Amino acid sequence: MQKTGTLQVATPTDTTIVMTRTFDAPRRLVWDAMTKAELVRRWMFCPPGWSWATCEMDVRVGGTYRWEWNGPDGQLALTIRGVHREVDPPCRVVHTERMEMAPGAGPCAPDGGAPEPWELVATLELTEENGVTLMKMTLAFGSKQARDVALASGMEQGMEAGYQNLDAFLAEQDRR
Amino acid sequence: MVLDRSPNLDRVFHALAHPARRAILRRLADGEHILSELAAPLRMSFPAASKHVRVLERARLVRRRVVGRTHICRIEGKPLAKADQWLEEYRRIWERSFLRLDALLDQMQAEERDKKPDHQEH
Repeated sequence: MQKTGTLQVATPTDTTIVMTRTFDAPRRLVWDAMTKAELVRRWMFCPPGWSWATCEMDVRVGGTYRWEWNGPDGQLALTIRGVHREVDPPCRVVHTERMEMAPGAGPCAPDGGAPEPWELVATLELTEENGVTLMKMTLAFGSKQARDVALASGMEQGMEAGYQNLDAFLAEQDRR
Repeated sequence: MVLDRSPNLDRVFHALAHPARRAILRRLADGEHILSELAAPLRMSFPAASKHVRVLERARLVRRRVVGRTHICRIEGKPLAKADQWLEEYRRIWERSFLRLDALLDQMQAEERDKKPDHQEH
């Protein structure tokens, strides 16, 4: 049995993104790696050329967290922050997530200005079986549009990271 | 990678470099739109939006057909059009993080074993 799984991403409804993945480690370690700031900054999302500016987490009900990244120019590019609504170690945590991008750092507003910050509620659930941990992360957005902007932000990052996603597109163009 | 050899690459990059054009592409991802519909949320004049669509057309990202006085636009680059492509790119970005998490968890487990050398794992 392959214990470490590849990430699955699904959109079961118009306003949600659900990510599932297994980790070959007991749940208490996965919990620590996902809730302790000094561990989170060692693995979490950091686009090429970006660096962590702030990683603070107070994982208690009502406790806040703040993640900030600098872009390649050394300027603050992205802030994600929120409040923990439910905390049940090492099984479940629910937090709000508010993302604010600096102008030009991410998906832009239709007028080309700084994008509207968007908010979501993230629910992390961890279950353990035979020393393997299954993670389920549900991101619930306020609207389909907000969800799609979040998905599109991945697209744009991908483009910045070398336009790999255009491989298929360009291959198709080349065949014409 | 095929990227560097594509003669269309510069045009695609150029087309995608403008936020208004990315907004147009995102809008077209859910289907055909007439140009004035695309222009309105961008707070743009028809000619200004038309100019952006022209750039997208040159990059072969968008196709426009004119019916009477109506300009109907649709997305051309299938991978860019599809929400599942967005999903795949989103997945890839997160998977990069989770691969780092795998490595961190391995390290955490190794450190635990080192701390308890006499402890027998069951």
